[in-house]
Amino acid sequence: MLVYEIMPGEKRIIAGVYHLSKVLGRHFALKDINFQLANGEFVFLVGASGAGKSTLLRMMYMDDIPDSGQVIMGAYVSTRIKRSDIPRLRRKIGIVFQDFRLIGDRTVFENVALAMKVAGTGITEIKHEMTNILTRVGLYHKRYELPGALSGGEQQRVAIARAVANKPAVLLADEPTGNLDPMVTRGILELLFKINSGGTAVLMATHDVELVKSFGQRIIYLQDGKIAKDKEMLFRGNLRESISNSRVDHRVKKFTEHSIGEDDDGKRES
Amino acid sequence: MAGINAAKYMLGETVRMLKCGKVSNLISVIIMGFSLLVLVIFILVTLNVSMVIEKGMGEICVYVYLEDGVDNKITEEIRAELLGIESVRGVVFVSKDEALEKFREQLGKNSDILEELEANPLPDAFRIQMKPESNTSLAMEKIARTAAEWRGVDDVRYGKKWVERGEKLVKGFYMTDFALGLIVFLSVIFVISNTVRLSILSRRESVEIMKLIGATNMYIQVPFVIEGAIQGIVSSLLAMALLWGACSFAGRYLPGLGFFRFEGVVGFVVLCAFLGSIGSFVAIRKFLKR
Repeated sequence: MLVYEIMPGEKRIIAGVYHLSKVLGRHFALKDINFQLANGEFVFLVGASGAGKSTLLRMMYMDDIPDSGQVIMGAYVSTRIKRSDIPRLRRKIGIVFQDFRLIGDRTVFENVALAMKVAGTGITEIKHEMTNILTRVGLYHKRYELPGALSGGEQQRVAIARAVANKPAVLLADEPTGNLDPMVTRGILELLFKINSGGTAVLMATHDVELVKSFGQRIIYLQDGKIAKDKEMLFRGNLRESISNSRVDHRVKKFTEHSIGEDDDGKRES
Repeated sequence: MAGINAAKYMLGETVRMLKCGKVSNLISVIIMGFSLLVLVIFILVTLNVSMVIEKGMGEICVYVYLEDGVDNKITEEIRAELLGIESVRGVVFVSKDEALEKFREQLGKNSDILEELEANPLPDAFRIQMKPESNTSLAMEKIARTAAEWRGVDDVRYGKKWVERGEKLVKGFYMTDFALGLIVFLSVIFVISNTVRLSILSRRESVEIMKLIGATNMYIQVPFVIEGAIQGIVSSLLAMALLWGACSFAGRYLPGLGFFRFEGVVGFVVLCAFLGSIGSFVAIRKFLKR
């Protein structure tokens, strides 16, 4: 049913927003938003607070539905998604928030493991993977701490570990550094780049233009609910070399080709 | 495999909820336990009172007095006819000699006045016991009318006034009881559903997070539902234990005070387990739907 364009250099659109509009109250929170995200891409979504970044992301993890237009995340289409498919989608993407959203009475280990448990992973496999994941975010030694005992930066690392625990094809980050000081921000960004270099596409919303300018990644500027500028529009501009890590691996395949409503690897070529 | 993992997870979460929410669970169980106590006290009082009433009503009998000198054949015919009536449970023949003996006993010390009698003036009679479900003045009236026409029957009597008054009283009691019961029941439901709602509200954040990381509603609900069932069981047991204690204390002053039968207690606990899980389900469902 869905058509996925396989692009040269093994590119595939894994997320797309098409003519999306959303009215909140009496005003357009978002108006005619269009962009696509390819596998392995790193994109900053920049805009002042109130520009509609969070609203846009919320619609990408389908916590809200657009008033018009549609969002396509992998094989899930906002206009057609069933209620019961929303958890399935969420297990295949990672979400990170400004306020970390960790469960306060669970340890670091339990918080991260929860995402895997919820996806139906067995405890043996979870334990096995966990060492790897927690080491990657540099918090293996704090795995038995409660979130309250960690610094903001550490908590965000836990949140990121949780977001990538199920090896998602896309990571959505809503102001992940909004509560952190510049030094820690740097570290979090590096971690996100590292995750991106592992093949996960990252869409990071931030209000901090200066911060993101220096990296040379694609930047989507959001202003008053509209895209003011999309530096390096995909398909038009040349694809960045920094996305050289992008390959259509099994994750991307699974994410984009999955027949909706199934949980196993439904093979379907586009 | 995924199913087993899911089951393991849900049980684990339930244990976790019970462990982490020890204090709040305890408070919930105590609140529910005492609410249920009010309900079971009410039910027990109703049952005891209605038992007394039933017993009292059961003692009311219809007497069919036979004509003097009726032969055995007719007597047997009357017995058969009476037993054929739908509302009759049993028939006891009371001979005139037995009746006199009983009368003598009732008179006690004054029984010597009977010595003056030349012959036994009392008639033979049938005492009719009604079936409990048709122990009404209407049914008795019907028997009285029918039987009075038969050959060999002299008279039919029953405590008409008494029965009718008793019936009115019983009706009044049950109506008041039902209305009160409804109020008690509704307030218990209200208190318990509020307790459940608060306990879910206190875990709103983690439920919110669970949704964001892709937990299905099933994953979120099931532990709450199991917890609700456990709370229902524990609080109903608490209510029953308290009631039992109170009952054995009150039994000293009220001999004959009955407690629920074992099946009744089990039934109540099962019902509360069921209601607890349903209550939790409805509350969490409402919360997830938003």
